[in-house]
Amino acid sequence: MKDDNTPISRKAFMEELRRYQKGSVTRRHFLGVTGLGTAAAVMGGALPGLLPTRARAQDIGDRVVLATWPNYHDAANFDAFTDATGAYTQVNVFGSNEEMLAKIQAGGSGWDVFVPTNYAIPTYVEADLIEPLDLSKIPNFDAAAFEKRFSDAGTIDGVVYGVPKNWGTTGIAFNSDKTGGVVDSWKAFFDGARDKWDGRVMVHDYQLTTIGNALVYHGFSFNSVDPNELAQAEKLLIDVKPHLYAISSDYQPAMRNGDAWLTMCWTGDGKQMNTDMPEIGFALGKEGGEIWSDYYAIPKDAPHKEAAYALINYLLSPEVNAKEALAHGYPVADSRTNALLPEELLNDPIIYPAAEALSPLEFGAAVTLTDPNRAELMARFKSA
Amino acid sequence: MRLYAWAVYAFLYLPIGIIALFSFSAGRSASQMQGFSLQWYGRALNNPFVMEALWTSVRVAFLSAVLATVVGTMAALALTGMRGRTRKVFDLLVQIAVMIPGIVIGIATLIALVSVFDLVNPWLEALTGWKLSLGTGSLVAAHGLFTMSLVVLLVRGRMETLDGALIEASGDLGATPMGTFWQVTFPQILPAILAGFLLAFTFSFDDFIIAFFVAGAETTLPIYVFSSIRRGVTPEINAIGTMVMAASLFMLIVAQLLLRRSQAQARR
Amino acid sequence: MTQSRARALLLTPAALWYAAMLLLPLAVVLIFSFGERSAIGGYAPGFTFEQYANLPARFAAFRNTLTLAPVGTIAALLIAYPLAYFLAVKVSPKWKTMLLVLVIVPFWTSILIRSYAWIFLLGGKGIPALLETVGLDDVRLLNTPFAVLVGIVYGYLPLMVFPIYVALEKLDKRLLEAAADLGTPPWRAFLQITLPLSMPGVLTGSMLVFILLMGEFLIPAILGGGKVFFVGNALVDLFLQSRNWAFGSAVAVALVVIMLITVGIYTRLVKRFGASRDDVGLM
Repeated sequence: MKDDNTPISRKAFMEELRRYQKGSVTRRHFLGVTGLGTAAAVMGGALPGLLPTRARAQDIGDRVVLATWPNYHDAANFDAFTDATGAYTQVNVFGSNEEMLAKIQAGGSGWDVFVPTNYAIPTYVEADLIEPLDLSKIPNFDAAAFEKRFSDAGTIDGVVYGVPKNWGTTGIAFNSDKTGGVVDSWKAFFDGARDKWDGRVMVHDYQLTTIGNALVYHGFSFNSVDPNELAQAEKLLIDVKPHLYAISSDYQPAMRNGDAWLTMCWTGDGKQMNTDMPEIGFALGKEGGEIWSDYYAIPKDAPHKEAAYALINYLLSPEVNAKEALAHGYPVADSRTNALLPEELLNDPIIYPAAEALSPLEFGAAVTLTDPNRAELMARFKSA
Repeated sequence: MRLYAWAVYAFLYLPIGIIALFSFSAGRSASQMQGFSLQWYGRALNNPFVMEALWTSVRVAFLSAVLATVVGTMAALALTGMRGRTRKVFDLLVQIAVMIPGIVIGIATLIALVSVFDLVNPWLEALTGWKLSLGTGSLVAAHGLFTMSLVVLLVRGRMETLDGALIEASGDLGATPMGTFWQVTFPQILPAILAGFLLAFTFSFDDFIIAFFVAGAETTLPIYVFSSIRRGVTPEINAIGTMVMAASLFMLIVAQLLLRRSQAQARR
Repeated sequence: MTQSRARALLLTPAALWYAAMLLLPLAVVLIFSFGERSAIGGYAPGFTFEQYANLPARFAAFRNTLTLAPVGTIAALLIAYPLAYFLAVKVSPKWKTMLLVLVIVPFWTSILIRSYAWIFLLGGKGIPALLETVGLDDVRLLNTPFAVLVGIVYGYLPLMVFPIYVALEKLDKRLLEAAADLGTPPWRAFLQITLPLSMPGVLTGSMLVFILLMGEFLIPAILGGGKVFFVGNALVDLFLQSRNWAFGSAVAVALVVIMLITVGIYTRLVKRFGASRDDVGLM
């Protein structure tokens, strides 16, 4: 479980700073307590041309509002951003792209930066809700450093609307103490849910992944909108429903406390749970499933656009990005960032799976998100 | 019987006790006690977003309660002793406002305001460079709708039990209608008005579902709590809950004392 | 200034408020319910009965609500009545106020946080772990209709206790003494005197709780694990996930109509037992 709020508040920070200046604490203590140690070590080399001077020069205001996903940031980075620019980051957390879209569509979301997934971007463009990015304000984004397949969805008709944050997969997290080993197929997942793991399995409260993986179980495409194939997926889901522990995208608490043994799971959540509880493993469905890429983007009606650019630029600096990855456990497509990550992370099979494990996975399609039949299917599944 | 009552009180207070207990945990888990510490209180109080959400909630609750109390009391005064179609229409409006589920109010307000803003904003922006959007205003208006209706019911109930002879006597003694109102009627309906204000304030302060839809970019305390629950709970939430509870209790006691005093005065 | 002009002036702000925040939104919902979902979600103008024809797709949500709302109301009633009776009849006046206040205090804390506490209590490390020590293994409570029921009773108990308490408090105790003097056994006195006289409170409390339960969303969302689905949850999903404003509006209209009917029946009953609407208001 992560805390998106300040581990050290501004006030506490100032107090520590004063104590440090008075000499009552050592520099090491000060840097350790304030989290600046790592930040400073990182900034030492990297920051000259970066934020502090730039941002101070042109005042970006005192706040920036970020709409993002759960367990997806290192809170210390936001504090360092505040210290460097004077702008606080307000973090709003959402459960699905549908929810984010709904909030923006209703207008007046008040967000400055949001994090749509690859397949959602075309819809935002079509609805004229997303701002074309002025890349001159994001000097830390170096297109050449990013792996194409994880960065090209941000560009539509030659216009850049999003710059890549992280990529990842939707796999299976399992508590091997209870499941007696690795669960690495959607067949085992859905069949086990109705059998030996009755009442212990969770699926996402998100049509895209839940229906997608039920389709994959039947050997269909994750993105299918074919009525017959959807009907078979629906039959499976409705059949499984009474045996599920919950339909929820907030699965970490139940997994950690042992109530749930198996869940659909995003890469970083799998890594976070695995780090704290080695018995919880993460595997990709061998029949297929989803691979995705998230992007930083700015809504059309963002109230603090300068702050939005500053935050995106800050988070994309390879040093900060590396700290983010260390905290959340999602892979990065930026070769500059990866060069800074420790060897064991780059070789971690959860974060960077072997290429052949990734090959059956599919990127979500725009229509998969917006197809009304899939939305209705999910509603029938939930209300059944 | 006594035993049963104890059991019900235990049922009511067990979860609250758990919340308070874990708020003193030294660990990060909100569902496990790991040592004793006050650190989560410090964190909550130092977290600018918690403080801002709290301030938003207090501001919205206060504004909507004041407006609802004033407007509702005015309406109740007008409605007392009134007959005919206007009275019937108003009775119906009050009943509907009290009865319609908050979730429907939230959704209906959201889509209505968004539609209206879409129509109005292009003109407004061209003329004034300024746009309407969801926020404090829509929160106050949506909360006030329900609580104003409660105030109408409360104050009208009180008005109907008033002694008409007193008012007549006051008039006979040459007092102006305004004078009569402030000196005779108002002191007698004050307890109902105060009760209405408190109800209105609490409702607005605690409401999640309407705010969830109409808050726009604002974050009220319940919205903050909901969003925090989703991103994994730390005892910070427990600390916030415990503090809010203590504050409510404090306000309740103060209100009780005030009410008691005003009733005692009314009796004198 | 004439009296009628004064009245008009006093009523105008309230009238405007109702027009802007109640009538307009309801009218928009009604209009939208005949429209369509636009391709990327939201609302597209139109005139069709399709949304209403599609209502059976939410049959299960209506069924769950229309079963769990009455069951929850009755459960809350059964638990609240003895407590209200105890407070009104048995407790000495000295303690009465304090005990009453203690019933409301939980109600003044965020329902979110209170419901969240039940996740812990009903989860594997809570009550089921206790049951295990007495030999009841593998009891699952969280994310079941039972958990939602517990949350409902817990959340709305004070709303039920109060009207019943008020009704019982008004009861003239000499009636019971007279009955006892005439040799009536206590249980008959209860059935023939206390219960009928407390009916207004029972009906008021039940109506309050029932109305709130019909629109409930949070408790099933928190304690039902996405598996116990109320109309409220269906509405939230329609507006915040699938973004089908037209169908969502139709579901909202259906919910309001069902409520008008049930509450209409209730009000009749309440009138029959002689309670006034203001008892409701006083709560």
